[in-house]
Amino acid sequence: MSQNSPGNTVRLGLFTVLGVGFLLGLLYLMGRQQNLFGRSLVVRADFRNVSGLLTGNSVRLGGIAVGNVKAIDLLNDSTVRVSMSLSTDAQGFVRQNAVAAIGTDGLVGNTIINLTAQAAPAPPVQSGDVLRTKTPLALDAMLGTLDISNKNLVAITRSLRQMTAKLDTSALWQLLNDQQLPAHVRQSLGHVAAASAQLQRAATDAAQLTQGVRQGRGPLGYLLTDKALPAQLGHAGRQLASTTDTLAATVAGLRHQLLAGRGPAHTLLADTTAARQVRQSLRSVQQSTQKLDQSMTALQHNFLLRGYFKKQAKQKARAAADSVAHPGPPRPGS
Amino acid sequence: MSVTTLLAETGTITRFAGRFFREGFRPRYEWQELLYQCYAVGYQSLPLVGITGFIMGLVLTLRLRPTMVQFGAESWIPVMVGLTIIQELSPIITGLMVAGKVGSSIGAELSSMRVTEQIDAMDVSGTNPFKYLVVTRVLATTLMVPVLTLLSDAIGLFSAYVGVNMQGSTSLMLFVNHILGRLTYGQVLPAVAKTFFFGFAIGLISCYKGYYASNDTAGVGRAANSAVVAGSLAVFLLDLVAVLVSTALGLI
Amino acid sequence: MVKPMLPTPAPAAAAPLPAPTEAVLTVAGVSLTFGDNHVLQDFSLTLNRGQNIVVLGKSGAGKSVLIKCIIGLLKPDAGTITVLGQDVGALDHAGLDRLRTKLGFLFQSNALYDSMTVRENLLFPLRRQWLAHTPTQENELVQQALTDVGLADTAALLPAALSGGMRKRIALARTLILRPDIILYDEPTTGLDPITGREIDHLIRAVQAKYNTSALIISHDLACVRLTADRVVLLAEGRCYAEGTYAELSANEDPRVHDFFI
Repeated sequence: MSQNSPGNTVRLGLFTVLGVGFLLGLLYLMGRQQNLFGRSLVVRADFRNVSGLLTGNSVRLGGIAVGNVKAIDLLNDSTVRVSMSLSTDAQGFVRQNAVAAIGTDGLVGNTIINLTAQAAPAPPVQSGDVLRTKTPLALDAMLGTLDISNKNLVAITRSLRQMTAKLDTSALWQLLNDQQLPAHVRQSLGHVAAASAQLQRAATDAAQLTQGVRQGRGPLGYLLTDKALPAQLGHAGRQLASTTDTLAATVAGLRHQLLAGRGPAHTLLADTTAARQVRQSLRSVQQSTQKLDQSMTALQHNFLLRGYFKKQAKQKARAAADSVAHPGPPRPGS
Repeated sequence: MSVTTLLAETGTITRFAGRFFREGFRPRYEWQELLYQCYAVGYQSLPLVGITGFIMGLVLTLRLRPTMVQFGAESWIPVMVGLTIIQELSPIITGLMVAGKVGSSIGAELSSMRVTEQIDAMDVSGTNPFKYLVVTRVLATTLMVPVLTLLSDAIGLFSAYVGVNMQGSTSLMLFVNHILGRLTYGQVLPAVAKTFFFGFAIGLISCYKGYYASNDTAGVGRAANSAVVAGSLAVFLLDLVAVLVSTALGLI
Repeated sequence: MVKPMLPTPAPAAAAPLPAPTEAVLTVAGVSLTFGDNHVLQDFSLTLNRGQNIVVLGKSGAGKSVLIKCIIGLLKPDAGTITVLGQDVGALDHAGLDRLRTKLGFLFQSNALYDSMTVRENLLFPLRRQWLAHTPTQENELVQQALTDVGLADTAALLPAALSGGMRKRIALARTLILRPDIILYDEPTTGLDPITGREIDHLIRAVQAKYNTSALIISHDLACVRLTADRVVLLAEGRCYAEGTYAELSANEDPRVHDFFI
C-alpha cells in the first residue's frame, strides 16, 4: 500500500522511461530504415509481373536503399503499377531515364526494385514520373535453363561412365594395370643375358681349343699333354647343354610372358629399356651362336674329335637321364 | 472441474471485469496506490524479468547458431533471434514471470486481507476496497507488463548480441541494422499490444482469486496458487488469440 | 505499559448521561436470510446516546451479521436501520462513507493492515475520509489515539510485532481517531486471555466516558457483558429474545436466558 517514497517514484519513472524509450527508439529506427520520416517523392513504374513484390520492400539504386514501395495496383490484366517513395536525398541521383527492374535480395531474400542509371544524360526525377522498366531475369526462367543444362549434363556423364566401364574391362587396361609384368619381363631378360654370357664364354673356350689344335701342336700330343682339356671340354659341353636348356626355358617363359601380354608390341610399348635389352641380348645370342657354329663345324671336321663328339652326344643323353653320375673324362683315341 | 463450474467461473470473472471498468473510470482515482503498485509490479519485477530475458536471448542465440551455420545463414541469426524475442519469447516469458511473481503475491495479499477482514475495514474507513485494491493492481499490471516486456526485449536483444559475439564477430551497428532491416511495424506493434492484455489478464485473475477467496487460512494458499495457474494459462490462451488475430489481419 | 491511561469508571457510573432519550441507532424489524438460514427475523433494537448495549448470543446466532448490516457491509432483506437519523439502506456510497466517519467498527480479527506501520494504520481512515489535516494535526491525533489506548510508543511498529491485546488496542485507536459517535465492537475479547480481556473491557468503558460515545458490543463473554453493558439484548432465533440490564437477565428464569448466565 501507499509507501511512495520519492526515491521509489523516481525509480519507477526511470523504469517506465527506459521501457517506453526502447519502444519509441525501436519504432523510430524502423521507420527511418523504411523512410517513413524523411521527406520523400513518389515515382511510378509499370511492370508486367512484379514477382510477389510487397509494399514496404526496398528500392535500391546501385545496391543502396533509396526508398521503398508505397503501393502496388493492378492497372489492367497485364500491367502492374508500382508506386515508390524515394527519399529526397536520393532525388538528385535518380534520373528520369533510370530503368526499374524487379530483383531479389539474395537467392531466397525479399523481392526488391533495382534502379539502374543509364549513360545518357537526363534531368533528375520529379514526383509523379513514370520510370522505364526492364523485364527481369526471372528466377523461374533461370531455373528452366538450369534444368536443360542439367539434362545435358546427365547425358554427358552417362556416356562418360559407359566409356570408362569399357576401358576398365579392355586388355590394354589390364596390361597397363598389371604391375608385375615389367618385373617378370626384366627378370627373364636378366636370365637371357646371363645365359648368353655363359654361351659366349664357352664359345671362346672352344675357339681357343681349336686354335691350339690348328696351331700344329699335334692334336694327339696336345691331348696327351693337356689333361685338363677333356675335362674342360666335358664341362663346356655340360655348360652348353644346361645353357641351352635354360635358354629354352627362358625363351619359353619369355614367350609365355609375351603371349600373356598379347603380342610383343605391347611389351615394347610398356618398357623401352627392356626392349633395348632384349634386342641387344638377341644380337649377342646371334653372334655367339654364329661363332659356336663356326667352331663346331671346325671341330667336326677334325677327325680326332669326330669320335669324341659321337661319345659326347651319348654322354649327354646319359647325363640327362642320370644327373647324379659324374661323367668321366673321354678316353683319348676312342 | 466440470463445464458448468468452469462457465460459472468465467461468468463471475467477466462480471468482475465489468465491475473493474465500471468502478475504475469513476472518480475518485487512487493515484498514490496506483503508483505504488506500479512500483511493486514493475520496478520490483525487473531483476527477475531482466535475468530471464538475458538468459533467454543468450541461450536462443547459442542454440540457433549450429543450425543456421549448417544452412549457411549465419547472418540471419540476429534477425531470427530478434523476431523470436520481440514477437513471442519476451512477451510470453515476461507474462509467465509476472504471473508467477506478481500474481501469487496479489492473490495471497488480497485473500489474506479478505480473511482478516482488512477489506471490510477499508470499506468502513471510507475507502472503496475494489477501487483501492483491485483497480490499482489491475491497472498496474496492465501498464507495467508491456514496459517489462520492452525492457526484456532490450535485454534479450543485447544478450543475443553478446551470444553472436561469443562465437563469431558482429559489430553492434551491423547487428542492429540486420534486425531493423527485417522488422516491420506489423510484427512489433501487435507484439507490444498483446502484452497489455497479458498484464490485464494477470492482474484481473489474481485480484479475482484473492478478492473472492474463501474465508479461511487455507483459502489464502489456494488463492495464490490458482492465481498463478490461471494467470499463466491465460497468458498462453491470449497469445494464441493474438497470433490468430494477427494472422487474420495479415500482420505476421 | 498496557495499562489504560484513563480512569476506569465504576459500573454504577454507567447511568445514562445528559440526553438519555436521544436514540442514535435504531434497528427496526430487520430480516436477513442466507439461503434457508434465517439469520435475522424481525429484529429490533434501539441504542441511546452514551449507552452501551451488549448483544449476547450463541455462535452463529447472527450477531456479526447484525453489526455488518448496521455499518452497511450487508444489506438487510427487510426492515430499516437508522443511524444518527439517517437510513442506512437509503444512502448512496458517498453518503454511507460520510456516515461511517461517525461510526467506528472494531473488527473481531482487528483487521489491521499488515503492510502498514501502526501510525499508517491510524492515518489510513483519517486520510481516506478526505478530512483535511495538517501534518501537525495528524501527528497530534495519532498520538492522542495511541495515548488513549495506552500504547503511545508503538507508532513505528508493524502489526506483526504486536501481541494480540496490543493489536486490539491499536484497532480501537484506529476507530477512535475519527471521534465516532457510535462504536460497534465485534467480539472485542474473543481470542484474548481473561486478564487482557478485562483490560479491553475497562478500555471500552474509559473510551465511553471520555468521548461520550455509544457502543453496540457483540459478545458471548459474560465477564465482558458484565463490565461493559448498560443493557443486554439476547439474540436468539434471529430476534430479540430478551432485553434488560445484566442483573435483570441473570435473574431471568427462562432456560434459554438462564443458560447464558451459568
